[in-house]
Amino acid sequence: MGAFPTDVAGASASALPATPSAAEGSDWQLLARVAGGDGEAMAELVEHHQGRLLRLCERLLGDAEEARDAAQDVLLKLFRKAGSFKPRGQLYTLIYRIATNHCLNRLRRRRLVPFLSLERSSERGEEELSVLDPPAPGADPAVALEARRRWRDTRRALAALPPSQRAVLVLTRFEGLSYKEVAGVLGITVGAVESRLFRALRGLERQLDRGSQQGSQRPPEAAQERTASGVSQKGEKR
Amino acid sequence: MNARTELQLMRLLHGELPSGEARALEQRIAAEPELAAACRRLAGLWQGLELPPPRPVPPGFATRVVSRARAEATAPSLAAAPAWVRLAAALSLATGMALGAGLGLWQEVGRPAGTESEVGGVEVSPVEGSSLAEAYWSALEGEAGSGEAGSGEPGRGELR
Repeated sequence: MGAFPTDVAGASASALPATPSAAEGSDWQLLARVAGGDGEAMAELVEHHQGRLLRLCERLLGDAEEARDAAQDVLLKLFRKAGSFKPRGQLYTLIYRIATNHCLNRLRRRRLVPFLSLERSSERGEEELSVLDPPAPGADPAVALEARRRWRDTRRALAALPPSQRAVLVLTRFEGLSYKEVAGVLGITVGAVESRLFRALRGLERQLDRGSQQGSQRPPEAAQERTASGVSQKGEKR
Repeated sequence: MNARTELQLMRLLHGELPSGEARALEQRIAAEPELAAACRRLAGLWQGLELPPPRPVPPGFATRVVSRARAEATAPSLAAAPAWVRLAAALSLATGMALGAGLGLWQEVGRPAGTESEVGGVEVSPVEGSSLAEAYWSALEGEAGSGEAGSGEPGRGELR
């Protein structure tokens, strides 16, 4: 059915391979060498997983700088206990589990400490978004503007979700994991994944509707500019 | 439309429904305009979620991680110390905590009612009908709201 795209990961995320490759099998061998103090194996493992790990941390935390710190902490946690993990399943599942728990703990600490308000990292995120201009000189500015609006709205909506729902949404929508894989990463049942995702989508709908109402209250000049540039309305599939 | 149907739509969108159930739901969608509208709304919401492309990995990231791991491996750690050192450290910590708690309790017991007390460097006034902990957190919130600059010494409402 054409209305239901099969690729749910979206253009901005590369889906993880569904079946283990030879590279995945060798990851466990590398980890075993790390347990024996092999620095080269450690560097190789980092290079295998740094991209997706940084991406995951940034999407969970909403802040690039914090994501770099978190990714480093996650890898160090992995290497400290390298000798204690049994090679079962995919190593990336283990890394995702450590990373998600680490980031969730950080998110929960943010909520407990009102001084370190989420607004601060959101403001930094807004500044970061402003430098993400399209690299191609010929890129349509209206398209870039609309893309940045979607990114900003998505980040705000994600930031408003409880950490547990945010994690499930990020892992399914942006990391392309199945419900079963998400359940494995988070150590919960598939039913719990579905429940959290369902509530997350409900919450997102409310957030995004609220955002679009605020947007419609903007000065008429801005609205006319958006319409004239041919930008699609919110909710229409592209 | 009930929540169960919406959940089924979500599963269908994500390719998580068994093929038989998926076909049955698709037939319903084709026959029921309300269901079809709900599908379009959900699909639009899902596809409308977008984040910027992933940033490039910062140069030297792997090198920094390996360096930190090596530094940790060579740093002296309590876990590697002899048993008697670990026991002495644990006893010192426990003694210090007990002394601190005892002193704090002695101060509170000995202080006349209605006077201010200092907890963790934050001066709190006893609030009628509330506990000391509540007064402490209230003082912290007051300090955070006022945004007073630190003077280097704990003052009223300032944390040490």
